[in-house]
Amino acid sequence: MKNLIRAKAFWNMAGGGIHRPPVNIRLPSLRKIFFTVTILLLCACPVFVDPVGARDIVLSDEAGTCLGCHGKQGLVKRFQSGESVNAFVDAEKFKASVHSFLACSGCHSEFSTDNHPSRRFRSKKQYQIRASLECRRCHTDEQIKGNSIHAGLLKGDSKGKAAVCTECHSAHYVTPVTGGKVFAGEDQYCMSCHGYNFSMTFRNGESVRLVIDRSHLEGSVHSKLSCSDCHYGFSSEEHPRRTFRSRREYTIALSESCRRCHFDKYTKTLESIHYAMLSKGNLKAPACTDCHGAHSIARGDKERSLTARRCQGCHPAIYDIYAKSVHGKALFDEHNQDVPICVDCHKAHDIIHPHTLDYRERIPAMCSNCHANKAIMEKYGLSTEVVKTYLSDFHGITLGFYKKQRETMDKPARPIAVCTDCHGTHTISSTRGIDAALLKANLLKRCQQCHKDAPKNFPDTWLSHYEPTPARAPLVFAVNLIYKIFIPILVIGLFLQILLHIWRYAVDR
Amino acid sequence: MTDIQTDAEVKVRRFSHVRIFEHWLAAFTFTILVVTGISQRFFALDISQWLIFKLGGIDNVRLIHRYAAVVFVIAAASHIVIAAMGIVMKKWQPSMVINWNDFTDAVHDIRYYIGRENAPARCDRYTYKQKFEYWGILTGGLLMIATGFILWFPMTVVRVFPGELIPAAKALHSNEAMVIVLLIAVWHIYNSIFSPEVFPLDTSIFTGYISRERMAREHPIELRRMESGGSEETLTARSEDIRKLRAEEIAPR
Repeated sequence: MKNLIRAKAFWNMAGGGIHRPPVNIRLPSLRKIFFTVTILLLCACPVFVDPVGARDIVLSDEAGTCLGCHGKQGLVKRFQSGESVNAFVDAEKFKASVHSFLACSGCHSEFSTDNHPSRRFRSKKQYQIRASLECRRCHTDEQIKGNSIHAGLLKGDSKGKAAVCTECHSAHYVTPVTGGKVFAGEDQYCMSCHGYNFSMTFRNGESVRLVIDRSHLEGSVHSKLSCSDCHYGFSSEEHPRRTFRSRREYTIALSESCRRCHFDKYTKTLESIHYAMLSKGNLKAPACTDCHGAHSIARGDKERSLTARRCQGCHPAIYDIYAKSVHGKALFDEHNQDVPICVDCHKAHDIIHPHTLDYRERIPAMCSNCHANKAIMEKYGLSTEVVKTYLSDFHGITLGFYKKQRETMDKPARPIAVCTDCHGTHTISSTRGIDAALLKANLLKRCQQCHKDAPKNFPDTWLSHYEPTPARAPLVFAVNLIYKIFIPILVIGLFLQILLHIWRYAVDR
Repeated sequence: MTDIQTDAEVKVRRFSHVRIFEHWLAAFTFTILVVTGISQRFFALDISQWLIFKLGGIDNVRLIHRYAAVVFVIAAASHIVIAAMGIVMKKWQPSMVINWNDFTDAVHDIRYYIGRENAPARCDRYTYKQKFEYWGILTGGLLMIATGFILWFPMTVVRVFPGELIPAAKALHSNEAMVIVLLIAVWHIYNSIFSPEVFPLDTSIFTGYISRERMAREHPIELRRMESGGSEETLTARSEDIRKLRAEEIAPR
């Protein structure tokens, strides 16, 4: 027996007896079906049950009668001026309006199911003014004055400039301003008016459209801001009425909002030539939005040619010259993003007058931003030595000292030749592939601008940014080489003699 | 008779007033030229910038350099003219002219330094070291004057010469300046200040006198010539006395 048990245990250990637990597949399946049916029934419930609070809007009988004709497209009211207005009313939209409970004659007081007078109006405007009076029968002046927009309009009213309610609120599809509808965000609230095409007129007669294109807003870097972040003072409660003399003054005034966040950029602009022009009363000087746009502000570093085009608006002649330069061609023809655009030299915000010494003295540093940068220059096979050779030569040294002297000693300085004096400013062209004689002749003209009676071979006194090599400047190379050998020999010889002398003197003593 | 002075106390006239003045003038203009020139060459150094600002800016420094150069040119020109005229018309000893003895003296001294000779070379009025320095400074100075002129009037120069002469002159001017500065700073300053033979200072160029002891050691040939009635110009009343003294000293024995 013992042996049998052992044998069985061994048999089990070896895995010979396959032992399956009892499995019931159908039990969980039934549960699943039950739950699925329950959930489906619950989902179907709303289809059959009227949701709480939903009500069917029933229009007045009178409205039904009127819509019998006005609910169809094609009815048009003509005015004496030749203008016309569509007399069609969309029943569904009307049902959604706040005035859906009113009968048509509530507003069109002269009309009823029995009476349909034929009226004549000189113009659409006259008709609209007349229609707006109907609104004011219910919405009294006292009531609507609370809103500053209305207060301003009412003032105009008394001066003979009648306000037209329907311009903003529309006629048959008036939506609730407060109460009924809840806005998800401030911008939604603002867009409830500014999504429609209307405009603001300035004192000089110019006007600006106040409609905002949502897609512009959403694509801008400010898409996460709300309207009042820039239009401060405005909110769902407040809408101050502002008057500006002209559209330009309005643009400049609104650009002031930018500094609330971009204060660093704002302080930079205070040093700029544009701000100086503005403070002298020149309203043509650009404000923030002129370059950056207002509601469609994009990142500045996206496509450099676009940034360059911003300047074109006011500086078209210079832009055209630039576009033909070696830098401009690369930018516009090859979409090269390495080349400098206007703002790289002139800067974006602290643009100083380019004819000042201050600016002139910065030019070598501007050019060296790229031309001393090996990584960039290697791409185009250009030497980075150009800046070094300039700075270590007469003009470069003098410029460096003049700059420091002006800064530390307040010493007046003369203008010294910088990169742009020979290479041109906006006209910069490549020196490659140009005949050496022509290059020299052009250079001579540049030399003569300062060195009045420079003779013909005066440009040869400048090694044209080349280091002296046996091929380029054999004489200079030879002189340097001779001294490079001679000076160490001299010094070693003299010191050796001195040391030997001292040694012998010490031995003798 | 009076007490007999030792050789160290006995002074021998070595330089005339003209030579003393020449040295002062050269030292003065040289210092100004070096200070204003080197600070322009090593313009990026803090000390150069400090100096240039102290002197009132780079334009001032360039102007001072040129004024000093004018004085230097006059000094050099008058020195050459006087020396040439003196040798030709007054039959001066051309004591600065390099001759074969200078080369043998140099070899001799080096052999002496390394212990192959017992005594240093016996030199005349100017040792080979002094001649080397003199001609180094003189030729270097003339080179500086020539290249300096080219750099001062580049427009005039390139009317006649090729343009490359200007950067070459610039290279030459600044390199030669280094040679001269090293020659003065190392060789001249050592020989006239730090050399154990003259330390703390060889005053002969300032006072015009040198001790007979140094004369005997450094310029024995000249001393012998002086004391044996050589050139009248170099003899002084003082050395006349010495000769008499010496003669008396020797005679009784």
